[in-house]
Amino acid sequence: MKNSKQLAILLAITLFLGSCAKDDPIDNPFKGDFEKGFFVINEGPFVAGSGTITHVSDDNQITPNIYKTVNDEDLGSIAQSMTFHGDNAYIVINNAHKLVVANKYTLKKVTTIEGDNINNPRFMVTVGNTGYVSNWGNSSDATDDFIAVIDLNTNMVTSTIPVGEGPEKMIVNGSKIYVALQGGWNQNNKITIIDTLSNSVAGNITVAEVPNTILKDDNNTIWVLCGGNPGGWAGVESKGQLVKINNDMVENTTDFETNEHPSLLNINGSDLMYSLNGNVYKFDINDTELNSNAISELAGIHYTMKVHDGKLYTTNAGDFASEGTFKVFNLSDNSEVLTGDTGVIPTFFAFQ
Amino acid sequence: MKYTLVFLFFSVLTFAQNDSINLLDEVQLYGNFSPKINAGFQIVKLTDSVINSNNQSLGNLLQKKANIYFKQNGYAMVSSIALRGSNASQTGVYWNGIPINSTLNGQTDFSTLKANGFDTIEIRKGAGSTLFGSGAIGGAINLSDKIQFQNKNEFRFHAGVGSYNSQDYFYQIRSSTKKLFAKVNFQESKSGNKYPFLNTTLFNENGAFKNNHFKSVFGHQIDANNQLKIFTNYSVNHREFSRTLTAPSDAKYKNIESKILLQYDHFGKQINSSLKLAVINEEYNYYFHKTDTDFSFGKSSNYIGKYDFNYFINNQLSINSGIENKFTLGNGTNISEKERNIFESYLLIQHQPINNLNYNVSFRKGFSSVYPIPFIYAIGVKYDLLANLSLNGNYSTNYKLPTFNDLYWDFSGNENLNSENSKAFELSMEYHQNKTKLSLASFLINSNDLIQWRPVTNTFWRPINIQEVSSYGLEFDFQTTLDFNQHHIGLQTQYDYTISKDIALDKQLIYIPFHKGNASLDYRFKTWSTSFNQQYNGEVFTTTSNTQIVESFWLSNMELHKNLSSYIDIGFYINNLFNKEYQTVAYRPMPNRNYKLNINIKF
Repeated sequence: MKNSKQLAILLAITLFLGSCAKDDPIDNPFKGDFEKGFFVINEGPFVAGSGTITHVSDDNQITPNIYKTVNDEDLGSIAQSMTFHGDNAYIVINNAHKLVVANKYTLKKVTTIEGDNINNPRFMVTVGNTGYVSNWGNSSDATDDFIAVIDLNTNMVTSTIPVGEGPEKMIVNGSKIYVALQGGWNQNNKITIIDTLSNSVAGNITVAEVPNTILKDDNNTIWVLCGGNPGGWAGVESKGQLVKINNDMVENTTDFETNEHPSLLNINGSDLMYSLNGNVYKFDINDTELNSNAISELAGIHYTMKVHDGKLYTTNAGDFASEGTFKVFNLSDNSEVLTGDTGVIPTFFAFQ
Repeated sequence: MKYTLVFLFFSVLTFAQNDSINLLDEVQLYGNFSPKINAGFQIVKLTDSVINSNNQSLGNLLQKKANIYFKQNGYAMVSSIALRGSNASQTGVYWNGIPINSTLNGQTDFSTLKANGFDTIEIRKGAGSTLFGSGAIGGAINLSDKIQFQNKNEFRFHAGVGSYNSQDYFYQIRSSTKKLFAKVNFQESKSGNKYPFLNTTLFNENGAFKNNHFKSVFGHQIDANNQLKIFTNYSVNHREFSRTLTAPSDAKYKNIESKILLQYDHFGKQINSSLKLAVINEEYNYYFHKTDTDFSFGKSSNYIGKYDFNYFINNQLSINSGIENKFTLGNGTNISEKERNIFESYLLIQHQPINNLNYNVSFRKGFSSVYPIPFIYAIGVKYDLLANLSLNGNYSTNYKLPTFNDLYWDFSGNENLNSENSKAFELSMEYHQNKTKLSLASFLINSNDLIQWRPVTNTFWRPINIQEVSSYGLEFDFQTTLDFNQHHIGLQTQYDYTISKDIALDKQLIYIPFHKGNASLDYRFKTWSTSFNQQYNGEVFTTTSNTQIVESFWLSNMELHKNLSSYIDIGFYINNLFNKEYQTVAYRPMPNRNYKLNINIKF
């Protein structure tokens, strides 16, 4: 009797210990298939088609067309970007004039944000529980461009902030948003500062033409890459420029040649990187002169390019009428670590 | 240059022959679309009663009657043809023998071109640049007004109403004597076109259209051997460009086309000649938002002079030759004013050495102010194996010249473009027995230097001569009629199988179906007649990698007619009889089941 009682206690203890050793499901719930890894947002064909989303998991599994698979409906014409807030993913659908809100782990649709206050939406940033979406407005009106202000608890547009022509990419610094006015269907040359405490324009900074990317470094210095006027149908060709902004003023500019139109500025530690004529260049933030040495391993006609966690993610749109491709490079040695197919016209990376 | 001299040489040769020639009549009526000089090719002719029983676009008519594949951006929106795996600018469309494909984009919109009001439509499948010039690679379609000098007056009135607020009407007066001929017609068709997108909550919003066409034809029989003719055509089309499944639209589009042709025909004992002078104008205005006052536009004016003659040496041998000069002025929002001149000359020798063998050899050489035009040639053979069974074969080299948009689009246009070139080969057989006709054709078209717009950078594209395509397939056509007591039954079935591949990608071109079928059953009894039409469109790829498709579909249409008297008949149409959901262009649904009622008065 004594033995079996001891055995029973031993068993109970073993079982108890055993169950403690397993992961408690309450602490680490499974959130969704797409919890880890990254997404590629694909615009879809220029005319009459739908944007799609490709997911790449941490162990390099590529799953195409996930939004449609999960929701059995199309995203809409021209998916432009995706921004996360809380558990939600906000997918900006440019030509269908709406944002699709979906759970960022399962991609299950939650709601859509559309109406008169979403018109040619482009990109989104968040400050606290408020979202800010750049909108080009009506294509034939250069004066109706605006930033839509969205309450992210209710997913409703609460107000709009009129800005100059062509608000595109934005960067948040404290309680301010810096909006690059790329120019929409024309060319512009300003950075507009939005004060999120009052949701109004606090000022404008003039830069070179076509500011196409904007970011901030670890010192909260704002960097803007201006592509310059491409010439031809767009007007008089002008130089590209890298602009350094501190305390809302232009501190330094570095010019490119007149026929050089750089784009896709990114930052990796203290290295700025940009794409120019099929090559990728590095620029240390303390440099004053441009580096004319391209990093040959990273070369390619990149449709978009993004640095994340020491790696460079690039896409190629191919013939624009079929699937594109993406590549991932490890920036410590510039080696290619992954490549795969995307949807049609891959335009944006979003990282979980 | 060497070849031009040969043509001139032939044109001054004369032979003294007195044989009566009834080939004359045929060529007099059909010009370069005459079967006699197109031995080796099949020409399908649609007649007045087929064309004019319903007011419809040329695209709708050709789908129902000739199994031709079109892709449309929604009902009544831009409709593009693809014959034998070729693209929309590789089918030549002609108006009374004058080429009318847009000079700007090289294509014809088959939604805005009206079939009714014409007397015959000739469809010649297969490549024919030697006779028809640039772009007749998949085929050539001729819309003609016939002039007959006889004492006759005719008045026609046609009106129709249909679903989604559709209406159309047509008036025509035709009056002729032994010496004079006049035909004038006017038509309008319009629709709200707001049909539902089946299985969605959406509608075909912003798809309304209205078009007006005016035509006049005058003829004067000067004497037994000479005729003077004038043809005019004027049309204005207003269309809103409809939304798609994934994006709304508020764009609108207007296009205006005017054509005038002055023709002088001479009929001699052995030589027929025809001098044609034509002015063909096109203009489009595109409004990105229909409330805008600004629009982007393009226009071209084309001045064409054409001289053709047929020389009948004897019953077995004839020569066709001609010269054509086309001067084009184009400009637009994205094209600064440009001009281009093209001069072409051709020679065709038709020979019938024995009764059941007819062959022709043709050559063409052109010169342009802008680019080189290659010398091309063709040979066609028709062999009557039996009285009712003939075998046809042809081989030809062909070209399509770069369009104004390709050459002159601001900053992207490429003035160094060359012509696209195609070599085509065809073998077919035709069988006739009383009222039954069966034909089977196989074709091969290899094209290179096809112009494609390719990205130089992600935002700057240019056209270059780069693509190589190989198209081949089979075409099957069976027709028969049966008459007993007072019943008349007609049956037609057609089926085309087409492979059209981009050689570099080794993939089927987008929007070219492998399978296309059409069947019609007609029944007539006394004053009633009915017709059932069944179309099948196989699936088409929408990506160049062949990973996405527009699904295949079956489409059924039905019509019922009643002759109320010898000069009035009414028609009732049910389109998309089984209310199927279908698209010809991805994300652009076509209409659900819809109805039309029309009345035709003719006396």
